[in-house]
Amino acid sequence: MKVQDVMSRNVRHLSADTTVKEAAELLQKNRVSGLPVMDDNGMLLGMFTEKDILSHILPSYIEKVGSFVYEENPKAAKRKFGQLGEVTVSKLMRREVVTVNENVTLCEVARVMLTQKVRRIPVVDKDYRVVGIVARCDILKGLIEEERKA
Amino acid sequence: MLRKFVILVSISLGLGFLARNAGLTMHQATAISIFSASIMGTLFFWHFRLAFVFLGTSLLLMTRTIDLKSVITFASLEVIMFLVGMMILVGLLKDAGFFAWIVSLILRIKNLTANKFFVLICVISALLACAVDEVTAIIFIVAAIFEICDYFEVNPMPFLISAVLATNTGSSGTALGNPIGILIASKSGFTFEDFMVKAFPVMLACLFIAVMILRFWYRREVAELDRKMKEFGANDFLIRLISVPPEKELKVSLWVFGMTLVFIALHHRLELLWGLESNTILLTMPLFSSGCVMIWKWRKARKYIEKDVEWWTLLFFMLLFVQAGALKYTGATDVLANKLALLSGNSVPFLTGIVLWVSTIGSSMLDNVVLVAAFIPVIQSLHGLSSSLQPLWWALLFGGCFGGNITLVGSTANIVALGILEKERNIHVTFFRWFWVGLAVGGATASLVWAALLILPFYR
Repeated sequence: MKVQDVMSRNVRHLSADTTVKEAAELLQKNRVSGLPVMDDNGMLLGMFTEKDILSHILPSYIEKVGSFVYEENPKAAKRKFGQLGEVTVSKLMRREVVTVNENVTLCEVARVMLTQKVRRIPVVDKDYRVVGIVARCDILKGLIEEERKA
Repeated sequence: MLRKFVILVSISLGLGFLARNAGLTMHQATAISIFSASIMGTLFFWHFRLAFVFLGTSLLLMTRTIDLKSVITFASLEVIMFLVGMMILVGLLKDAGFFAWIVSLILRIKNLTANKFFVLICVISALLACAVDEVTAIIFIVAAIFEICDYFEVNPMPFLISAVLATNTGSSGTALGNPIGILIASKSGFTFEDFMVKAFPVMLACLFIAVMILRFWYRREVAELDRKMKEFGANDFLIRLISVPPEKELKVSLWVFGMTLVFIALHHRLELLWGLESNTILLTMPLFSSGCVMIWKWRKARKYIEKDVEWWTLLFFMLLFVQAGALKYTGATDVLANKLALLSGNSVPFLTGIVLWVSTIGSSMLDNVVLVAAFIPVIQSLHGLSSSLQPLWWALLFGGCFGGNITLVGSTANIVALGILEKERNIHVTFFRWFWVGLAVGGATASLVWAALLILPFYR
């Protein structure tokens, strides 16, 4: 079984000029943790996830400091969260996206997901146009079905 | 990009030809050409600096400019191991909440006034840079500055620039403050006590001058903070929000780090007592302590090695030391040292001035480790000139540290702090906004050091 047999072809996506606030609401509504960012021609521009929002809100130095010093959420984080309506997805999205083509086997996609630490991978054609998206659950479903058929 | 690359190739090849025409051997000219290419590589293509030193070192070996045995010798593994050990210890302190605790201590200062805050962040920045490295110190000082400035709704930029300038100044106080400190200690044979007696007091005097200049320079900004503090009622409310209880792990970590510092401080006496080679304890103590840490925190040992040790930077240092060593190996630095001695009329005070100002101006544009690595073999080649080359080593240390204050790309601490300011507050500091205040502090402190090196008898 190949990726094309399990991927979702109806790809929900974001455009680069969507505000982060709108994008966050869309992620919540669709109950997904990330979506691909595409242009009007269906070309893949990047990947936007909840992680990108959290990384933006938290101070960049906090990892080095080790932990927060307050009992409540800091003022700066609250302020940044309040300004998400002014920031566009293009500013926070990851531009280096792991992709696969639709003829790749399920095990190969699973390997890529594990080694690259990603939950879902956009499936692209040779022109880098998105033709589908494959998530971990799709691979498991595909493997179960393959075993049943065997 | 292509233009820069063409300039790099032209200058490095040009220097090689020039050296050959000046009567240097083929190997000497090759070593000069490759080292200058690496220096310009770090200047023009910072993100490719490791690629440049990899290629350069390979070329040195392939052209038989240096042999494998000498590559190992010049790589200065003792310095690299010291830095690895210190990075692991800093990783432990971070995990144990030491830096968050320090930030909370700064925020909890009783009866905080703007003036007190300004002077304290400068002093704490300088002293912390002496104990851990300058880049680590500046990160949590920046965190404290952001918290205070956020609370009182003032622009953090003047306080951040002041703290960075104080950090660079403070990093000259001990052998631990800056990688060039331990590099100079290793190559000159200076002990930690030498640093405490001859570098630390001068650093304090320079810090005093720096704080005075900065306090005057940013008088309006400090007055603005003072006004806001009176309006908000000092930091009483802020203190109530803070919660960083010193836990057992933090206490043990502090004890480990404290004992490491004690052994480093006493290394010379202990080496004499136990009949060890000079600087053995200084260079191996961080390694010993981090070994203990990796047994204590065995589940996190791999994380300390893989995440907390900056292998990219250390590999760059190691191969850069090899390339600088090739200058010594081929005798190119002997030729340069002879010319320098001739130019100065064999006068150590004159040479001290040259080393101090060249390293000050050079490190305002270049990474100070690159500059110091280039200078070390030259100073070593001057050993016949005088019974004591001490002033030259100290001039190199202070010039390398203080030059970093002059431009915003002068030291890693500047780049890290300004990067955080831009990312967190969207504030971009222009070149000249930094330059004038940096020049005032860098120029004044370097002048003070120059006077001290020439006048004070114990530097001779």
